[in-house]
Amino acid sequence: MIVPQNHPAPESLHPSLWRASQLAHSSARCVDTGHPTLSSQLPGGGWPTGTLIDLLLQQTGIGELRLLRPALAAAASRRIVLLQPPHAPQALALAALGLPPSQLVWIRSTRSADTLWAAEQVLRSGSCGALLLWQNHARSESLRRLHLAAQCGETLFFMLRPLSSAQDASPAPLRLSLRPAAGGVNIGFVKRRGPQRDAPLFLPLNHSLLQRHASLDRPLSVPVAHRGLLPELVQ
Amino acid sequence: MPIEVFCPNWSSDAGTVVLEQERVLAVSPLARAAGVQVGMRRGGVLMLMPDARLVERDVLREAEALHAVAMALLQYTPLVAQAEESILLLDIGASLRLFGGIRALCHQVRADLRTLGFSAALSCAPTARGAWLLARNNGHRGGHGRVVKMASLVRRLDRLPGTLAPPARPFAAWFEGLGCFSLGDMRRLPRPGLQRRCGRALLDMLDAAYGMTAELFQWLEAPTSFHAKLELFDRVEHADALLYAAQRLLLQLTGWLCARQLAVLRITFYLEHERGKVARAPTLVDIALAEATWRDEHLVRLLKERLAKLELDAPVIGLALEALQVQPMAPPSESLFPEPGGSEEDCVRMFELLVARLGPENVLQAVPYPDYRPDLANIWVPVQQAIRPSVRAAQMPDAIHTFPRPEWLLAKPIALLMRDHRPFYGSPLKMATNAERIEAGWWNQMQTRDYFIAQGQDHALYWVYRERIVGSHLDRDPRWFLHGLFA
Repeated sequence: MIVPQNHPAPESLHPSLWRASQLAHSSARCVDTGHPTLSSQLPGGGWPTGTLIDLLLQQTGIGELRLLRPALAAAASRRIVLLQPPHAPQALALAALGLPPSQLVWIRSTRSADTLWAAEQVLRSGSCGALLLWQNHARSESLRRLHLAAQCGETLFFMLRPLSSAQDASPAPLRLSLRPAAGGVNIGFVKRRGPQRDAPLFLPLNHSLLQRHASLDRPLSVPVAHRGLLPELVQ
Repeated sequence: MPIEVFCPNWSSDAGTVVLEQERVLAVSPLARAAGVQVGMRRGGVLMLMPDARLVERDVLREAEALHAVAMALLQYTPLVAQAEESILLLDIGASLRLFGGIRALCHQVRADLRTLGFSAALSCAPTARGAWLLARNNGHRGGHGRVVKMASLVRRLDRLPGTLAPPARPFAAWFEGLGCFSLGDMRRLPRPGLQRRCGRALLDMLDAAYGMTAELFQWLEAPTSFHAKLELFDRVEHADALLYAAQRLLLQLTGWLCARQLAVLRITFYLEHERGKVARAPTLVDIALAEATWRDEHLVRLLKERLAKLELDAPVIGLALEALQVQPMAPPSESLFPEPGGSEEDCVRMFELLVARLGPENVLQAVPYPDYRPDLANIWVPVQQAIRPSVRAAQMPDAIHTFPRPEWLLAKPIALLMRDHRPFYGSPLKMATNAERIEAGWWNQMQTRDYFIAQGQDHALYWVYRERIVGSHLDRDPRWFLHGLFA
């Protein structure tokens, strides 16, 4: 389509207007993801604070915390609340990710209503740096309620849910799906304020874990040249 | 007042009728709807309303209730005095700015009185006696009496009936004979004659009301320790129904704290049970705060969550509140540019609220313990337990980056199946690292394990281990377990 030159571009009229081919400007403050390839694909260039961010996992333990590590480490000046995680979090591993144990709070609850209540209290108080909430089933009205509560403050709020809930509607402006891939994780953009992207984005995450010890099946990089005397010793 | 000490306005109306000397003194709305009127005899009431609750007037209880209200109102001003005929006088001249003006203050006082379970007539005037007369008048007719200027007070007072002033009441017939009906008429009578016939008291009262002499009051003193009690008139079987009554006690506590310039750290509610065949000890609800407070909103929220969790095993008939631990009130320090995330106190208050509903064992903080065995190193304690940062730092192992640890640790290791001599979890697992040998705990739980990071065919990473010593049969196949997930 040819746009007449004398018309101003729609994105310059109002901050909440953007073309379908562009990424939106984010009205919320954003925290850098720490992965430049991912940041360039998100509206605002990072994780938006004070909104619900939906992360849809194929299974637990595929690198979701390593993906969030830079953002959580930046938010670790205040408390980081882990609400109803699927297993016991290991404080030493989180410390290795850069989250000091003094800032970690683990909240367990037996009933789903209590979990949602606790999430709302944490968001409304606004005194925590980040909230990570694990839920398998969430009704859309409770999601909307949490999204509204998140808007009260500047808490970084991630909700981690199974991949099957990608089909359900959600008020979250940013929804990403995570699938494990060789050496990292494949990120699918289920919903974002920007152009539709079908190809998943691959982020390498594993090398920091696996390079501490040399791998057994890694091919030797330096071939052995001589089996005799070293050349510098030969005169 | 005579009726509300028996049936506060938040309790259900059971048709209460208060009698004094076998005559009806006050009736509840339900009884009034049934036709019971003030001045009737006992027999007449029972004929109109056979199931009416007839009670004798209890002057002692009324005095206690008035004292409770006075305690609660101490939060608005330190100058509260009790006047005759169940009227409280508050000097609010110095409190107007703090509470946002006279309208806002009246609104708050009215709301507090409603919480306490009483209805009252509120009036303000430049002189205390003037306010007393206006309130006394409004008590019969309703409506508000808020007078700020002296001139308008004089106009309002002139129109009030003369019998409102207690010293004038014995001479009501004489005043009527003179054609002197209002306070204004009374003021126009010659002073010496009025003093000779009616005594000094009437003139003093008129002068005080019109601001011509100074008034003296005996201001109430808050007691040195706080203990408030409330008798419930129904048997309460659900704990959350107690919240209204508890709020009333908390309001009294707030007034007391403000008057004594204290903040509370620990309070205890005693829920008193009905005495059946065996005496039952009262149930205790103990609320300890990390941060001392003198406002009741946070206490009410905490109490609400605690009461929602409480299971009563017998109906409650009484409620008492005691402030066990207090400290001097620290004025809030406001910063010029408040932090966006709220202060540390907000955080502490939020944790208190979470603990009140979820229980202390479900809100945890991490205190890693230096042990090679991963499950013993991962210690979480209740968030309200005070841990010194130096202790936490001393317990922190130095080499956290050297050895990989999974973010999720399974509560119980899962024994893995073996297929083709490889551990199998969804798919065959391939070891991605060398073994990390952990051999420790000969003193209690011996662990001899080789830990590996394994990768499944779905590319997810698992933390698995092999038991090195398998019982006594060393030639048995090694046993593999899954112990953690890398998130």
